[in-house]
Amino acid sequence: MIGNITIQIQAEVISIIVVSLVIFAFVFVVNKKVKTANIYEKPKGILLIATIFVEALAKLTNDNVNHKSAANYAPYIAVLALYLLFSNFSGLLGLSQPTKNYSVTLTLALITFVLIQRASIKTVGITGYIKSFFEPSPFLFIMNFFSKIAPIISMSVRLFGNITSGSILMLMVYGFTAYLSGLFPIIGSINFIGPLIAPFLHFYFDLFVGAIQMFIFISLTTVFIGIELSQ
Amino acid sequence: MELAQGLVAIGAGLAIMTGMMTGLGQGFAAGKAVEAVGRNPEAENKIRSMLILGAAIAETCAIYGMLIAFILMFIY
Repeated sequence: MIGNITIQIQAEVISIIVVSLVIFAFVFVVNKKVKTANIYEKPKGILLIATIFVEALAKLTNDNVNHKSAANYAPYIAVLALYLLFSNFSGLLGLSQPTKNYSVTLTLALITFVLIQRASIKTVGITGYIKSFFEPSPFLFIMNFFSKIAPIISMSVRLFGNITSGSILMLMVYGFTAYLSGLFPIIGSINFIGPLIAPFLHFYFDLFVGAIQMFIFISLTTVFIGIELSQ
Repeated sequence: MELAQGLVAIGAGLAIMTGMMTGLGQGFAAGKAVEAVGRNPEAENKIRSMLILGAAIAETCAIYGMLIAFILMFIY
């Protein structure tokens, strides 16, 4: 509070800072190991993970964006993959995931929207872009307009809905096991049933759903860009 | 007023029914995937990743419904 103004910081801001520090530490360690590595022997440890990651993302980007300028989009897709993966996994550390906030997912979807429109303008030029609103008939202007807006809403709500529903269900499971533990007379003030059955649910809701949604977000981004570039 | 709370609960229950047809559609896709692996056992990895991608995209309708049900339950 500064004077009469109260400033509220949402819990996801702290999570974003923690996730950024984790990504920075990972990249820093890999950088140091790459500079002192021998290129004639097989990588192991964290260098192996980094090699697999870079190869998989380069293959995915080049396959989905069937164009010679596909390598320009690969760095952004790699950073997006790291950011979404670590921020979906941060529910395991007890933080409130950044993607649980609709502002974060809407921002990422808007960045994708700008990338898609820029790819389209670069391929057909700005007159072709405006003319594509009136094809095949000028009466379909509203439909063409909405088919360009639809990916924003669908991608942001898909990511937001999956992560938020997972976290609300975990909250309800912990609440129910706390009530069950409270029925025991002396040791009931500590929730001891919760950590017995929660790890299996954490495995599905945090790890599996987080990884799948990251994969879907990246695949849809690259496929939409590839559709625009191939016209 | 309690009538409003009851109607909100009924609305949340109706919103979650979007999961019915999603289960049917994803089961159908899994059946076709198993049949494709039986026909061509070497392409198993590609078929598995395509199945996961397709199933999770088809699941977005159910996720929209669940989101609306949660918003109705916890905010109204």
